[in-house]
Formats: sequence, structure tokens, C-alpha cells
Amino acid sequence: MCRGNGLVGEISVGGGMTKGLLEKLQRLFGRENVYYEQEDMLVYGYDSTPGIQGYPEVVVFPTRHELVQQAVMIAAEEQMPVIPRGSGTGLSGGCVAVNGGMVLGLSRLNAIREIDEENLTVTCDAGVVTLDLYNAVAARGLFYPPDPGSQKISTIGGNIAENAGGLRGLKYGVTRDYVMGLQGVLSDGQNFATGGKAVKDVAGYSLRDLLVGSEGTLGIITSATLQLIPPPQDKRTMLAYFRDVGSAAEAVSEIIAAKVIPATLEIMDNTTINCVEDFSAIGLPRDMAALLLIEVDGHPAVVEEEAEAVMAILRKLRASETHQAKDVVQAEQLTAARRTALSALARVSPTTVLEDATVPRSRLANTFAEIERLKQQYSLAVGTFGHAGDGNLHPTCLADEGDCEQMSRVHAFFDDLYNMVLDIGGTVSGEHGIGLAKQDYLRRQIGDGGIKVMRQIKDSFDPVGRLNPGKIFVE
Amino acid sequence: MDIEQSKQPAPPGNFVTADAPGYDSLLQCMRCGFCLPSCPTFQLTGRERSSPRGRVAMARAIAEKKLDLTAAMKEEAFFCLDCRACTSACPSGVQAGSIMEHCRSQVARQDGVSLSPARQLRAFVLEKMLPSPGLMKNSLVVARLYQRLGLQWLVRRTGVLSLGPQWLGKAEQMLPWLEKPLSDGLAELTPARGEKRGRVGFFLGCVMNLMFAEVSSQTVRVLAHQGFDVVTPGKQKCCGAPHLSEGDPITARKLAVANIELFMAQDVDYIITDCAGCGAALKDYKKMLEGYYDEATLHAFSAKIRDVSEFLAEQGLRSADLIPQPVSVTYHDPCHLAHAQQITAAPRILIKAIPGVELREMNESDWCCGSAATFGLKYVDASHKILKRKLANIAATNADLLITANPGCQLQLAWGLKKADMQQQLLHIMQLLGQATPV
Repeated sequence: MCRGNGLVGEISVGGGMTKGLLEKLQRLFGRENVYYEQEDMLVYGYDSTPGIQGYPEVVVFPTRHELVQQAVMIAAEEQMPVIPRGSGTGLSGGCVAVNGGMVLGLSRLNAIREIDEENLTVTCDAGVVTLDLYNAVAARGLFYPPDPGSQKISTIGGNIAENAGGLRGLKYGVTRDYVMGLQGVLSDGQNFATGGKAVKDVAGYSLRDLLVGSEGTLGIITSATLQLIPPPQDKRTMLAYFRDVGSAAEAVSEIIAAKVIPATLEIMDNTTINCVEDFSAIGLPRDMAALLLIEVDGHPAVVEEEAEAVMAILRKLRASETHQAKDVVQAEQLTAARRTALSALARVSPTTVLEDATVPRSRLANTFAEIERLKQQYSLAVGTFGHAGDGNLHPTCLADEGDCEQMSRVHAFFDDLYNMVLDIGGTVSGEHGIGLAKQDYLRRQIGDGGIKVMRQIKDSFDPVGRLNPGKIFVE
Repeated sequence: MDIEQSKQPAPPGNFVTADAPGYDSLLQCMRCGFCLPSCPTFQLTGRERSSPRGRVAMARAIAEKKLDLTAAMKEEAFFCLDCRACTSACPSGVQAGSIMEHCRSQVARQDGVSLSPARQLRAFVLEKMLPSPGLMKNSLVVARLYQRLGLQWLVRRTGVLSLGPQWLGKAEQMLPWLEKPLSDGLAELTPARGEKRGRVGFFLGCVMNLMFAEVSSQTVRVLAHQGFDVVTPGKQKCCGAPHLSEGDPITARKLAVANIELFMAQDVDYIITDCAGCGAALKDYKKMLEGYYDEATLHAFSAKIRDVSEFLAEQGLRSADLIPQPVSVTYHDPCHLAHAQQITAAPRILIKAIPGVELREMNESDWCCGSAATFGLKYVDASHKILKRKLANIAATNADLLITANPGCQLQLAWGLKKADMQQQLLHIMQLLGQATPV
């Protein structure tokens, strides 16, 4: 295996676990909420990041807030690292135990506590599944917009810790934009609560905003108060196919320049189109260079107007075909197909190395051109898809981790690409986080000064490095 | 190639014997977790190793020599329902169910023959009884005697069985009143009625034949009424699905060859089954026998297989003379139809084509009912919890009838409806169509 940070180690069964500690945990949490067998250590040692595998020593599932506190205190006594975990669908290795320790599974802490229609908020536990939350508030006529690719199983806690994005980012923003308050436990077992239902809050530093996207390194989030909005009354889903990627990228910029902000503006290249079509068979054209999936939503009159404006731009840029979804079912099919892009690409090769480059929207065409150039230079198979409207691309190398020579080309490809992305003012991670996968790139982006400040923040929250050690910073 | 041998050169890693999961099939999983919400056992336990992603990760660790074929892996291989819901949900094309079947065969071979009576009975059923229709029929003589003598009534009343292992009690309750096996009374040829549209072979599954003879006799009647000559060869054998699912691929391959040879000798356009489990297995023969049998014949055989709903929807149902059925129905998708064969539209098309029938969709119609071959008898508690979820969804529709298309589901659901004191009548889709078909 050739991935540098693959952490492919041995399963150490209950390395630091004594019989006494195990019994104590079982007594407190219940036997059914404590796992320590080697098979469990294996399967709680990964997330969706390719090629990364760690092994915790024990996994506990608190079922109440107080038990999270107890778990953290026990870990402190035992000097064990604590690694919070939702459903394990992250894409940067955020919940992978690097060096043993206790995985703190939050998926059984999963009550939706309150939907407050006067304040337009929902308060829920960290382990609530994103789509379940979406459905619960939708049943009350409300809307929670963030919809990361894995929303069917990802948890709100995980979404907040990684500041997850999704398909609606362009118009509605990302998870951070909906977090109003957070409750949880600090590294020494002390409770914290920050923010709340007040729309405005400038009392001191915004700890809430530090915790969003902190990847489990600053505190354990146990529950959150999230902002809701009224759902759009109408929407229109459109598809456009292009014979060259450049025109598709240009269309993205033109749509925004025309002052239309679609809820969704997604792109797929030819490789991705073919893989998605293999899985979903919804009739995508296999010979097209790129596809744009565009959704405008809002008041019916505005939707009508914006859809027309979008169609006009598509025609102007000679999209070779444009379609409007004829009904909700078809629109759903199209977005569902887009959600499967990554996994569909994964069918093709044993290893998929996915990245999360994000650039200013106006530079999308250049970025695509650079991807194309580097793909040729390193002779790699690369499928690219992403949130074009956010300038957020997921170039995905279809590789084989057994082939070391090829893997070194993959790394060289991303090295070069990220240099370019940083040169034009982009970021090395739009929505997946740094975790284990992108530590080298982080320093390149924020420099030594940036790392120093981030480290100081980490130290002030967690002076002994109890929480999720080994993440974000190169140790 | 010899059927007793595996086509694999060597089992990967710590897999011990032939018929291990292929390493490539394990690498296919990229751990996106899309399978997690679709997996009934993961939803039950919330434990990653009881999920498709976890099970495949364990199998991969075995293949990579990081894990032995441990007790936990064996347990998970059998705890998997093999419902294939994860296969429908997986964008990467991972066949977790089939991988678990391979793992089961590892367990069966590694553990060898054990002398426990339960294992002996299992071996007898799998290796002797199911492959031999004659023996299977005779064994039912005992069961019928037992019914006649009223033992069934006595056992139920005294609760003797509930003192024994839990599963025995449930099996006893699930067993329907056994009629004469259909194959005893069914002519080899049932001629088409009205304008003839073709000639089909009928694959009569073991459970259908023995426990649901009434259903399959309706299937034959419906097919004939729809204009098809129905040929039912008397010498057909078990499809082999129970053997695969219990980790015995060798017997499964032998049965497959016998069935292929029998049916390819008939002059039929299609081979029809009304058992979703059999249909899935028959369609899979080409994979099961890849490298063992002539490829062209395998393809020709597979191309002829149709589930009866799939077939009738494809051919177009002649509904002009159907008798109106003023009922509301809800439909449960059998896993082996919806997930293993991706057939969900056809049964609904047929139901809606019957005049007077109102279809009320239930929530999670393609969620497993918990029967899953012998799962319902091995993991009685887990199976019961999965069943309860299904029953709640059925009850919410308030439909008069519950319709399904697979004998395993039918046994489990009938038992569940009775236990829960629910009023719905349970019918195979061919029984519903049979009711609407004039004499």
C-alpha cells in the first residue's frame, strides 16, 4: 500500500484496556454500548477516506449527554485519546483513531428535542441523521438546507464538526450558516454551551464559530440549535450538456454574472457522467464532455424568470442539449444521480483518491484546463465533478493503491494542482476538512503563522491534546 | 471443469478453502456508507460490523491477512439477511450479500461435519431432501400424518414446543396446513386458453410446490388464461438457493446443471417462476456456473428466466375479461424480487390492471420482512423486530389485502399478521390475479 498517510497497522486488541476499565465502561454505558473486540476495532477504524485505516482500543456509545461527559473524564484518567465519531462518512479521516484510544460514537445520542416555529430553530442531539432532521422539519413546513452527499446517513454532529457543504451551498450556504448554538463537553470533561436562539450575539469571541469545522479537536459537540428557513415554494431543475468543459465552466460564471443565484449548480465531466449512468441508468448522454445540473428555486414568478434567464445563457453558450425536468420525480432522479457521483466513480478502480479543491468561481475554466493538462502529464484517469457554483471541484483519481509507481504520480498530480489552486486564491479544502488527508497542504495554504495561531487555539481548548490527536496539524 | 472444485486458483489471504470471496469484489467497496440506512440488521443493532460496509471490511481484512476467519466474522456472515437491499443502494456495485454467501461457504467447509443433531438434520435437508423431489414428498407424509392425528393441535395447545429451542416453536407455528404437493396433480402440459401467445416452462419451487400448492396452481391457470401453454417438467430439482445461502455451493452447482439440462431440452420460449427466491437463483446460474459449463447455454438459459409478474407485465396483461375485485391492497416487495432482480414496477402494473383494485403503497415497501431464508428461524428475536417494523407499515395503509410474491415472505408475514391479530388477508399476487381470472 502506497498512500503516505495510510496508517495501515496491526489490529491491537484492547491495547491499553485493562479488565477493570472495560468492566467500568460496561457498567456505565451498558454492555451493548461498549465494543472492544478486534472486529469492531477494525470497522470503527475507518471512514470514507480511501486508504486510511486506524485501530481504536475501545468504542463507546453514550446514550445521554452526561455519559459523554463521563466518557471524556474516564479517558482523561486513563490518558487515552478521545475520537468523536458520527456515522463514519467523512472524507478526510476525521474520525479515524491514529494512535489507539477511545472512539466516542455519538450516533445513539439522536433525539430531535424541539422544533421552535416561533424562532425558526430546531434543537437536536449530535447523532441525529441529517436527512431525518430535514424530514422532521419539512413535516412542519420548514427547511434545513445543508445537504451533504451522505445526508442519508451522516449525522448533524459530524456535519458541524466538518462544516459540511452540499448541493445547495451556492444559494443557501453550508452547515456553519445554520448553526446558532452548540452544547457539549470540553477535553477535561467540563460542559460548554455557546450561542443559542438569539439571532444576534456578539458577546465575546464566537466560540460557536470556532467549534464549527474544528474536526473534533476542540470539544465534543453533543447537541445543536440550528436555524431553519421557510422552504422555497417552487423549483425548476435543468440539465445542460456541453461538448467542451470550457463552455460549461463559462456558463457557470455567466449565470452568476446575470445575477441569478441557483440553489444548485453542479458539474460532471465525461468520466463521471459515464460512471453515474452505469449505476443509475437514467439516460445521461455518454459522449458529452460535461453536464451542468441547475436548480433555481423560490417564489414561482421568480423561478419562472430565473429559469428563462438560465436557459437563455445556456443557448448562448451553445449547450448542445438542454432539458427541464418534467416533474418532481425526474428532478429528484437527477439530483440523486449527482449524489452518487463519487461512489459511482469508485466502481471503476480499486482506489479512488478524491480531492476537494475550491477556487474563486470565475477561475473555474482555468482550473478545469489545469486538471486536463495534469491528467495528460501524469497519464492518470481522473473524473471531475463538483459544486461548480461554489467553485468547489472534486477531481477524483481512479487508481490502484497496489501500484506504487502510479500512486506517486497521483500525489504529484495533486501537488501540482494545489499549487495552482493556491496561486489563484483558492483553498485546499472546500468542505471535506483537513483531518489526516491534507495536513501537508494546509501549511502551504495558511503558512507557518496561520498554523501557529491555530495551534494556540487548539492548546487553549485542549492543553494535553486529548481530543482527536493527530488531526489537522502535522505532528 | 469439475463441479466439486472451485474455479479460484487459491483463496485470498486467510480464507481457507475454495469458493472464497474474490479479492476484487472486496476492493470494490469505497466505504461511502450509502448502504447503512438500507441495511435492516444495521438499523437493528447500530453496530458497524452488522452493516454491509462493516461485513465487507472484515472480509477484506481476512483476504489481506489482517484478520482470521473469526467467530465474529462467521456470526456476521449468517446474521446478514442476504436481502440485497445494500446492493440496490450501492453506487459502487458491491455485492455484500453474495460476498457473505461466500463467507458462509468458508465456514461450512472450515468447520467440516459436526455431529450435532441440528447439523445432521441440516445436512440431510440440504444434501438429500431438497435435491430429491421424491424424498421431499415422502418426508411430508410424516408431516401430514402428524396433522391428521391432531398432534399439531395438541402441541400448540400444550405449548410443548415452546419448551424446546425457540426456533422450533416458531417453525411449528409458521408451517401452513400441508396440502398434496402440486407436482402430484399437475399435468406436464397445461394448454393455453383463448388466442395462444406462446409456450412457457414453469419452474415449480420446492416451497411453492409443497407449502403453497394453491398459489402455483393459480399461477399455471393464470398463465394458461393469458394465452400460454405451460410446460411443467416433473423432474425439476431445487433451484439451489438454500444451499448457496447455507454455504454449500457444490450441491448448488449440481442442482443448477440438472435444471439447465432439463429445461433446455424443452421447447419453451421462457421459463417462468412464481418464487422470487428461485427466480433470483435461476438468473444467477450464469455467474454460479461461470467456468464450469458451456457459456452459450448458460446465457441462453438465463435469458429465458422470468418472474411471473415480470413476464406478464412484459407481455401485456389481457385484462378485458378479468372479474372486478373491489378491494384495497398493499404490496410488499420481496427482497429477491426488488433487490436481487430489480423488479418493482411489474407487480404494481399487474395489480393496477385488475379492475376494481386500489393499490395503497406502504412505507418502506422494499424493506425486508425478516424471513430471509432460514434467518427467521436462526435469529428469532432479530427477525421478529424486523417483522414488527414491516407490520406497522402494513397496518398504516388500512388495506384489505396484503400482496406479495415470494413464499418465504408469505410464511413470515402470515405468521406475523396472525400473531399481531391483524385483519389483512395475505395473498400471493398470482392468487389475486387468479381470483380475477374467470373459470
